[in-house]
Amino acid sequence: MDETQPTKQPEAAPDNPYRREFLWAMAGLGAATAAAFAGWGSLEMMVPAGTADDWHKSTCRFCGNGCTIRVGMRDGAIVDVRGHESGHNQGVICVKGSMLRALPHIEGRLTKPMIRSNGKLVEATWDEALELVAGKFKEVRDAHGPDALAFYGSGQLYTEESYTANKLFKAGLRTNNVDGNPRLCMASAAAGYVSVFGKDEPPGSYEDIDHAELFFIFGANPYECHPPLFERIQRRKALHRDAFIICVDPRRSETARRSDLHLPVVPGSDLLLLNAMAQVILQDGLADLVFIEKHVAFQHAGQSADLAAFREFLREYTPEKVESRLGIGADVIRHVAHRFARARASMSLWTMGVNQRTQGTALNIMLNTLHLITGQICRPGATPFSVTGQPNACGGVRDTGSLSHLLPNGRLVANAEHRAEVEKLWGVPVGTISPKPGHHAVELFRAMEDGRVKAALIMCTNPAQSMPDCDRYSAAMAKCFTVVSEIVADSETAKTASVLLPAALWVEKEGVLGQGERRYQLVEKLLDPSGESRSDLWILVELAKRLGYGDLIKAHTAADVWEEWRHFSAHSYYNFEGMTRERLQREPGLQWPCPTEDHPGTVRRYVEGDDPFVPAGAGIQFYGRKDKRAMVSFCPYVPSPEQRSDDRPLYLTTGRVLEQWHTGTMTQRIDELRGASGPARFIVSEADARQRDVESGDLIAVASKFGEVIGRAVIDREMRPGLLFAAFYDARLLVNRVVADHVDPVSKEPEYKLTAVQFRKAEA
Amino acid sequence: MELTDLTRMLAGLLCAVGFFLCLWLPRIDFGKIDPDRKVNLGFATLSGMAFFKLLALAALFAVPAASVAVANYHTIEGVHGVESCNRCHVMTPMVTDMQDPHSQTLAARHFRNGWIPKDQCYQCHSDYGLAGDLQAKMEGYRHLARYTTRTYEEPIKYRGVFPNDNCLKCHAATPKFQAVSSHATLRVRLAENTLSCLNCHGRAHPTREQRTPDHADYPRLMGGDE
Repeated sequence: MDETQPTKQPEAAPDNPYRREFLWAMAGLGAATAAAFAGWGSLEMMVPAGTADDWHKSTCRFCGNGCTIRVGMRDGAIVDVRGHESGHNQGVICVKGSMLRALPHIEGRLTKPMIRSNGKLVEATWDEALELVAGKFKEVRDAHGPDALAFYGSGQLYTEESYTANKLFKAGLRTNNVDGNPRLCMASAAAGYVSVFGKDEPPGSYEDIDHAELFFIFGANPYECHPPLFERIQRRKALHRDAFIICVDPRRSETARRSDLHLPVVPGSDLLLLNAMAQVILQDGLADLVFIEKHVAFQHAGQSADLAAFREFLREYTPEKVESRLGIGADVIRHVAHRFARARASMSLWTMGVNQRTQGTALNIMLNTLHLITGQICRPGATPFSVTGQPNACGGVRDTGSLSHLLPNGRLVANAEHRAEVEKLWGVPVGTISPKPGHHAVELFRAMEDGRVKAALIMCTNPAQSMPDCDRYSAAMAKCFTVVSEIVADSETAKTASVLLPAALWVEKEGVLGQGERRYQLVEKLLDPSGESRSDLWILVELAKRLGYGDLIKAHTAADVWEEWRHFSAHSYYNFEGMTRERLQREPGLQWPCPTEDHPGTVRRYVEGDDPFVPAGAGIQFYGRKDKRAMVSFCPYVPSPEQRSDDRPLYLTTGRVLEQWHTGTMTQRIDELRGASGPARFIVSEADARQRDVESGDLIAVASKFGEVIGRAVIDREMRPGLLFAAFYDARLLVNRVVADHVDPVSKEPEYKLTAVQFRKAEA
Repeated sequence: MELTDLTRMLAGLLCAVGFFLCLWLPRIDFGKIDPDRKVNLGFATLSGMAFFKLLALAALFAVPAASVAVANYHTIEGVHGVESCNRCHVMTPMVTDMQDPHSQTLAARHFRNGWIPKDQCYQCHSDYGLAGDLQAKMEGYRHLARYTTRTYEEPIKYRGVFPNDNCLKCHAATPKFQAVSSHATLRVRLAENTLSCLNCHGRAHPTREQRTPDHADYPRLMGGDE
């Protein structure tokens, strides 16, 4: 190697002037990116956690609207309740539903069984209580026969519970003394639908609201009693400029205040309006004669009739002939009849103002009739719709046949063929079911009074407050051996109980609720029952075992009962065999008929393509009756037995308020609801108050021939003279003490809406 | 003309000026500027050197600073518009529904009655005052990050709790609101957000089901034909 040769130095890296800048730029970019991601991460962590950790689909516990809800849980407790956006209620619930979270924790929950001993209720074990009940029931049956026993249930029991009770009493104990509080609210609607269509339950759905042009709200106050429904009506009106709301109510209710036309009929006279509307429709050529020809039949007093005879019958009800008794001018009656018939789609909605009447069945028939003679039925938006009051009066009681004259799926106790079908399906010997219909609600309590019924199981209802002339029937219950399954220890009914059983409530148990549009929804168990309380189903199953009917009542869980019941339904037009438990868990309710597991449910009954029982090519078919036609019965107006007189110059009518539900057993114990409604009061007109020197806030004594009750008066300047109103939620103002107990001759539903009363200023 | 439109025009102008200065100023040899050259600006006469130094100052500091200011203004104010939200396709169903004259959602009903004349998304989804504005920006940034990194699932889901104050700031003082007795007894729950206004007054936007790509309503909500 030549050492003189200079050592070749490694070539220096070219001095790239941009390298440093590039590295700085990359470092800066990296830092900026890191900062951006750090900022993002921080923001993600700052998002509030939400009000609940887990959400569960469920159903509201209160009214018959049956709103689908989401129940939010955290740490094993209910922390939030929201409307389910995919439910039929489209996410809307009311203030009562919003406060459901407080329901399981209401004050006064009954947590242990109690047995009356020496006039006082003392704690007992479940074994002691159930052995006592079973022993007493056997003793009564053996000594006095099965009809000395009774079951009085509720439109709030789960379907599985009502079905089991009905089966136990009718096929086990062999008495048809099975009735319940739906007799007090829905019996006339059921009787009306059966009379007209041959089958119970509405032909339409809530969805019809979104298509209707005329809303004929008759004897109902949905603004307060079914708020999500009225919200939907108001939305329809806001969207559709031709939508029109007519409200028929003697009282200027909150719904009437928000309607386009309020018809303040004379209390008790509204059948005159319906007959007069029918007369105008037929007289003025507004009837759909093609529809009548194809789909409608007529009868009068049990004899076949025709359209001409109906016209003749209605001649007594021209607007001019009824206007003075009705309190609505003939021109207004004509206007309403024309609007109803000419609207692109008319929807009638009614509740207790129609049902709780001595002419409740007739009113129901005529409301359905108006739709039939105008063809306002079986189209979107055109439907007669009886809105229901309780969450499971339809699915649990009407559909399971848990009333004294019924058997499941619209069958009748008095029909030998129906009895044989049910005996076969229940696997009991022919002749097991008694052919004698049991006592309807009012008669049942009268039977307790005079000793015909000696022992009764009362579940999930508060008849000592909800019955008309309630003091009389509370005393009757006290005479009888009553077993009361109750959520609180101090309800009016609990006070009369011989044995008090603590009942699980709402999501403390599992079961199906069936609301007013034939929709069945599952309530899953989310909480453990309070204390030692048990589901009503558990009570019934345990009682059945002790009574020796373990072989009859084989299904012991809600899921097993549902399996039995849905297969049972396949033998009828109520078919909902396709509603598996899994589907009910998954979907926000399904409407029957739903015969197969891939059937989507039926929005409109009697319509081809929607109702699976309408054969292809029929278009519309009222398949519930043998002649496949809907039946119009002539309904003469018969005045109520309660008539005003010099001694009792006013009518008392009762109802609900927005924040309270039924007898207030639940809602009165929730602070936000109790605070909003305040105590119940008598709403009186200014004229009636002045006449008696009464100011708002004064105590008044209201007397009928049934009794007297004292409460505070509030003067409402929009109240019509001669009318008083009180809600029945408040046990401190037991308005049912003075309410008449006359019943509709067909449906046997009492007339809560009309009692002749007098009132005077009372001393504090 | 809206303020945001003016801002956009100003931003465009600044961009053009900055671009021009960047191209022109490097070509100027400051040593060769004629010391006697005068530049008459109309309101003042400057020496050539002073003029070009001022241009350099503008290019280096003033125009970038103005650009930053305008850009920030655009970020703060310009994104209030409904069209800003609608730029992300996951928000399109909400906007389409809101502007649908037949929709019954709360957003559509508010839009129809015209009480919120503009920036409808922002008005309901930002809290009151400066803090609310800032919070809305932070949420917007979070949404942007999610969207651009595609770390979201369609249909999107509201996280957290919608503050009732956003409803109450307009409604609480109205006679209609005050006439409802339960609004008074629920005051604390409404303030604490433990009970939502939406319970009684309906859902605000299309359901998640409707916003799912295979749902029958999805094409319509995405602005396609019904």
